[in-house]
Amino acid sequence: MRKYLTAYSIALQETLQRRSTLLMDRLGGFAIVLSLYSFWNVLLGDKTSFLGYTRPEMLTYVLIINVLRSFVFTGRGWLLVGEISSGRISSYLVRPLNYHGYALALDLAQKTVHVASAFLEIGVLVLAARGGVFVPRDPAAWALFALAAAMASLIFFFMEFAVSTLAFWTSESGGPLFCFELFLQFAAGAFFPLDVLPESLRRLLAATPFPYMVYFPARVLLQKVSPPEAMRLLAAEAGWLALAAAVAIGAWSRGLRSYAAEGG
Amino acid sequence: MIAALRRHGRLWLRTASMSMQAQLTYRLGSLGFLIGKAIRMGFFFAFVAAVFDHVQTVAGYSLLETALFFLTFNIVDMTAQIFFRGVYNARRIVNEGDFDFYLIQPVSPLLRMVCSNVDALDVITLLPVLVMTGVVLHRLPPLGWERGLAYGALTANAVALIFAIHVAVAALTVRTQELENAIWIYRDVMFMGRFPVDVYATPVRWALTFGIPIAVMTTFPAKAFLGLLSPAWTAYAFAVTGVALAAALAFWRSSVARYTSSSS
Repeated sequence: MRKYLTAYSIALQETLQRRSTLLMDRLGGFAIVLSLYSFWNVLLGDKTSFLGYTRPEMLTYVLIINVLRSFVFTGRGWLLVGEISSGRISSYLVRPLNYHGYALALDLAQKTVHVASAFLEIGVLVLAARGGVFVPRDPAAWALFALAAAMASLIFFFMEFAVSTLAFWTSESGGPLFCFELFLQFAAGAFFPLDVLPESLRRLLAATPFPYMVYFPARVLLQKVSPPEAMRLLAAEAGWLALAAAVAIGAWSRGLRSYAAEGG
Repeated sequence: MIAALRRHGRLWLRTASMSMQAQLTYRLGSLGFLIGKAIRMGFFFAFVAAVFDHVQTVAGYSLLETALFFLTFNIVDMTAQIFFRGVYNARRIVNEGDFDFYLIQPVSPLLRMVCSNVDALDVITLLPVLVMTGVVLHRLPPLGWERGLAYGALTANAVALIFAIHVAVAALTVRTQELENAIWIYRDVMFMGRFPVDVYATPVRWALTFGIPIAVMTTFPAKAFLGLLSPAWTAYAFAVTGVALAAALAFWRSSVARYTSSSS
């Protein structure tokens, strides 16, 4: 465990050291949240609610997207593809560590910095917000939200890991990863609440793990899901997490069996 | 002069053909990127269309008008992606010493750096966007050829302005050998151009008009077509591009003059 904490600590320092990269990453996220915030603000106009969301609820949804994007969608997929394709992965395979644990430690370091930045950014927007934001008073909503977000983050970690391990078999795994990440962000509700979509499309998405990544945690925080329903959905999310982990670990094991490294 | 233009034209066609062939070689990767781009556009269209199932206008614009803003953003953005993709490799070109070879070739190093990497996938995705734009323009009430001309001229002006930004980023890379993410600031802020700038609060709108002129690139052409852009703003759009191009080219010349080679 200690070596993973050390990896986390070094990765944290490295992320903070690359200030310009961090700033640019955050600027991108802020541009997206500012765009969506402004769009919904204008759309709501003088309306008291839209699609069942009051003005503060809808604006809070947009703001919480910023936090969840930082917490859930910050991953190392592209790095893993590069490490496998270039053979750099070999140097990790000979070390006395579990690669999944090591990757998770690095991932957590990134998330720590990005989530802190995301809260700072939404703080700025909250101060400027007209019409206020929705703050849940029930501590259970916060607890359920934290649990749902933590599992969402792990689902993304394992799913991205599984797609990235395609690099063991093909040098063209960047395309599928790009496609997967874009689809995931839309299908998860990371740009807009899925309530906007037609009923048929929403039902289709409900049968996938994607809405559990952003849409479900955000609705839990907005107290749009009753506690029993939230517990049922959390159980379903745990099921998706177990499946994603099994697929990722299975793909990794098979990939390692077909992996060959040459040179020094 | 004409001979130089012909030579550069031939060179561009050759390098464009080579990069297209390279993309076609990586079929799985290219397919993934292509599907990803289609998903991004499809979901945004579904979102805009779904929103208009519930409201008549957004910021005073109808569905067709909002679609025109979104499509214009895509035309400008994709055209820039097709022609100026080379800047995304600028840091590698400088750091690995390829730029030294560009300087000794009897062609413009600027053309080699900025324009010699054509993204064929964006050519494929641009075609349906152009068709959809034609359909939207046709469905809008007849507005006269002058507005069509203004739309075309301002769209070309927007691409020229984006070219100026790419030249400035290339110059910055040559001068500093760093700032690999500088182009991503532009990409991220460009996200805000998906919606007409009227949705933003006044300070943001001003920043997008006079600071980083995203409004000139994405909103002005559509506004001109809808007859909502005064001659003064039209003149401003062309003036901004003229100044930006002159400044970016001067910066490029100055950076190349100071370049002392950063690699062996």
